[in-house]
Amino acid sequence: MQESDVIDYLERLALLKFTESEREKVRIEITKIIELFNELMKVEELDRVEPLYHVIEIELPLRDDEPLDTVDSSHELLSENAILENGYIKAPKTVGE
Amino acid sequence: MLINNLNILIGLEVHTQLTKLRSKLFCPTPADYRKSPPNTYVCPICLGLPGTLPVVNKKAVEYAIAVAKALNCEVSDKLVFVRKHYFYPDLPKNYQISQYIGPGFTAIARNGYVKIYADGKVKIIRIRRVNIEEDPGRIVYVGSIEISPYSLIDYNRSGIALLEIVTEPDMASPKEARAFLEKLIAILEYLGVTDPREEGAFRVDANISFEGFGRVEIKNIGSVKDVEKALTYEIIRQKKIIEQGGKVERETRHWNPSKGVTVSLRSKEYEEDYRYFPDPDLPPMKLDKSLIERISSALPELPDNRIARFTMQYGLDEYRASVLVLNKWLADFFEDAAKIYSNYKKLADLLITDFLRWINEYNLSPENFKATPLHIVKLLKLWDEGILSVKMVKEILPQIIKDGIDVESYVAASGYVKIIDKSYLHKIVEEVMKEHPKAVQDALSNPKAINYLIGLVMKKTGGKADPQITKEIIQEILSSIR
Amino acid sequence: MSYKYLSMPVYRLLQEFKTDPMKIFDYLELVYKVINGTENKIRSFITLISKDIVFKYVEKLVKEGLEKFDSLKLLGIPIAVKDNISTKGIRTTCASRMLENYIPPYNATVIERIIKEGGIIIGKTNMDEFAMGSTTETSAFYPTRNPWDLSRVPGGSSGGSAAALSAGEAPLALGSDTGGSIRNPAAFCGVYGLKPTYGLVSRYGLIAYASSMDQIGPMARNTMDLAILLNIIAGHDSKDSTSLLINGKDYVSLLKELTHKEPRLRIGIIKELFENSDEGIRSKTYKAVDMLCAYHDCLTISLPYGKQLVAAYYIIAMAEASSNLARFDGVRYGLKIPFENKGWDEIYSEVRTKGFGYEVKKRIALGAYILSVGYRDMYYIRALKFRRILKETFDKIFKSVDAVMSPTMPILPPKLGEFFEDPLRMYLADVNTVIANLIGVPAISIPIDFYNGLPVAVQIMSRQLTEEVLLYLSMQLEEKTRFRNIVAEVH
Ligand SMILES: [Zn+2]
Repeated sequence: MQESDVIDYLERLALLKFTESEREKVRIEITKIIELFNELMKVEELDRVEPLYHVIEIELPLRDDEPLDTVDSSHELLSENAILENGYIKAPKTVGE
Repeated sequence: MLINNLNILIGLEVHTQLTKLRSKLFCPTPADYRKSPPNTYVCPICLGLPGTLPVVNKKAVEYAIAVAKALNCEVSDKLVFVRKHYFYPDLPKNYQISQYIGPGFTAIARNGYVKIYADGKVKIIRIRRVNIEEDPGRIVYVGSIEISPYSLIDYNRSGIALLEIVTEPDMASPKEARAFLEKLIAILEYLGVTDPREEGAFRVDANISFEGFGRVEIKNIGSVKDVEKALTYEIIRQKKIIEQGGKVERETRHWNPSKGVTVSLRSKEYEEDYRYFPDPDLPPMKLDKSLIERISSALPELPDNRIARFTMQYGLDEYRASVLVLNKWLADFFEDAAKIYSNYKKLADLLITDFLRWINEYNLSPENFKATPLHIVKLLKLWDEGILSVKMVKEILPQIIKDGIDVESYVAASGYVKIIDKSYLHKIVEEVMKEHPKAVQDALSNPKAINYLIGLVMKKTGGKADPQITKEIIQEILSSIR
Repeated sequence: MSYKYLSMPVYRLLQEFKTDPMKIFDYLELVYKVINGTENKIRSFITLISKDIVFKYVEKLVKEGLEKFDSLKLLGIPIAVKDNISTKGIRTTCASRMLENYIPPYNATVIERIIKEGGIIIGKTNMDEFAMGSTTETSAFYPTRNPWDLSRVPGGSSGGSAAALSAGEAPLALGSDTGGSIRNPAAFCGVYGLKPTYGLVSRYGLIAYASSMDQIGPMARNTMDLAILLNIIAGHDSKDSTSLLINGKDYVSLLKELTHKEPRLRIGIIKELFENSDEGIRSKTYKAVDMLCAYHDCLTISLPYGKQLVAAYYIIAMAEASSNLARFDGVRYGLKIPFENKGWDEIYSEVRTKGFGYEVKKRIALGAYILSVGYRDMYYIRALKFRRILKETFDKIFKSVDAVMSPTMPILPPKLGEFFEDPLRMYLADVNTVIANLIGVPAISIPIDFYNGLPVAVQIMSRQLTEEVLLYLSMQLEEKTRFRNIVAEVH
């Protein structure tokens, strides 16, 4: 990792923060976890194969271009969970970044 | 520094919605969201609610293949979607389902080209790749963007099918960029996959650099004209920096169309890491040759073919043919008119000059102007017969376009015909007689030949002369000569 | 209604309910009595539907559905649902502060199917936050306790579902399994749990942890009940592009048929997975091996991988999790914090920091790291390559055997807090279960006995889409061990 502090780097990468007490714990654990990950280096013959992303042999199914005949005109999908203003969802501003 | 010797490299990244689809890319929400209130054309999937999953719209894939073939691309033998990660509130999942080229994944098409006409020459613009991806939602601001304490989001656009078409940096001027975009729009329109005139349906990121200097990306330009303007502005800006011995920052800029300037968004010291990986929710699909073949063989006549046909069939030069063809509706209009009028060049000239100018002047779309091919042909015929002068044609044309007036009845009803001013007509008749002594001799010996002289006067007055008065004046003069 | 009903299997309850629908109310009365008595100790549920609401629902169901009762395959059966499966109008939290107040506006496909068959959702069960954990201790709300020993964990991440079953709080439950999250708690709580073939059960509505491995599966107190619930939830769903294009088999009939015909199978015994288990586990599970091998042809097989299995699993899971959990930004749903005059990046970070617990943040951060340029090839791609080699290994194994057997868990249920200091030990305890998720095959956990008062279970895996083989072997063991319909007495 290129940053001086690994935790800072991870926080910036993932856009989240660890508390002060969590920082020390995560520092120790991450070292151990990376060590565990490095176990894969021991497996030979990895280079002979392609990565396996999907475990089942399935062809992507496609959907016909048929629209639903209803729309969410009364905001039933959002009203319980989002802050609405004239039908728009309020969110943090995105300028100045 | 001798900057005029430096090559300019322009590459474009075009995002075009597939507006002819009826539903969104990964969910069955209707796609005609433009006139609806915010956040009503949404479903759990395009809102990115937890637990929802994408299912791909078949037609979107077929459209993408058609576009790829029309852009002379190699179509991939498999369809793979990846997740492109960036955190932004208009992106409901905070990743975009898109396509990319990497280990185990690829774009739907790559390595194509488009022919453009620039300064009378044919130029090839290479297409790097074509991606299918989903459109994010739209962010609006309360009051102005700078002082707004929060943003407002409308997810109606979220999940609309987009194609991302990326060129190589093969364009050397803003004019070439414009020619490319016009050609691309025409191709998309001929394919019937999109209506680029729909608001926000066609967006361009342009990157531009002087060879050997830093590359600047101008994001999210909304129209072809603005691309040309933004690039022109950017060339002047960069030129100034280079001439003063400065360094062009590698950065992303934003085009402000009202101020006509580009402004810096952020500098790009490092490539953004989008952490691409194949979307585990969407297994890959084989794109077999027969499917691609079927789509390919069903392609409609495309602009290049139509231009070639216009030169053959109507004897037009490539310039006239391509102006017509790149405006599909105009080319269609031309062909309808050409069925009943055979001076194709004259027809083409009228259409690509005054006709087109008035359409733009009145800001009319092909759906709402009133002129029909028959109107125009009638106009041309009256012109041919000398009943209307060029000047009069030009005067009547805008009224035909705007109001759809019938030329014949208009000509009959209006004061355009029949100059009854005797002294004026007298002068014209005398001129005609002076120019045509032979015709005068004929008329002296043969009363029927008077008609020829009348015709000449008509021609000279653009058909406006009153034939009865003209005839009387001619007879008067002839008898005085006798 | 007497307590004997509590240990009655679902297939018997269904018969009772069909002859007299009023018995549904009696049974529900009993279930709520048990819940009232145990829930304060066990805490299986995050959201429990009140008895009144359930009764009203059932009244309506009975009134409207009398004529179709015979066709309803889950008529009146209360079902506990893991809280990462979306239920319309019922809070679905994933045991996270992030979704503490999230009310899904739609049902997961499995929920639709259960409701259509007359099943009754009685509550949403506790789990590790976003299914990240093996003990149900990472729940943001409270841990669930093991009904067999309240000082111990019920396993995880579907710990609430398993505990509810073994405490008699529900006769059927849904769990989800990404690396053992059904089988681990099933083993620790002494119940049956099945992770189906990847793609057999729709994931639509399951809040994703690691999409390429997540599967919803049934949990029950006997094998036949597993088959009954699997029958309902299995089968193609056009809303899930990874859903296999097959209709679910009739597992109940197949199970009956196989149990009747008793075909002789070849079973592979994975040597290392027994040897590396705790002593108590080893001795008990070898007995189960003996029971099955008395009838079937068994052969010992060797698996040359150990820690690598866990490494590959966690790499893939964390990578996918970092992507799947990116959507929780508090905008459309989820935790809200005041954001006026603050920028998006700042708020996004703050929402995630406040909304996610430690384990979740750690996995998201590591997942992002694993996918970032420069490390992707080293970890992510390598793990996926290992996944292919593992799949090839098992393709070969399944050419010579019909099923493979191991202990479900190499350890007995640990005490609460035992893993806190050393989470790596917790990760390594997943070694037996992650295999099935990495390669997409079905796997079952079958309780066989107790050791020092704690349940012990074996795991059997078989080829893709041969769930009936697992059910058949499970039934055979169940016949021998009589480990069926056992409800823990909670003290
Ligand atoms: Zn939608």
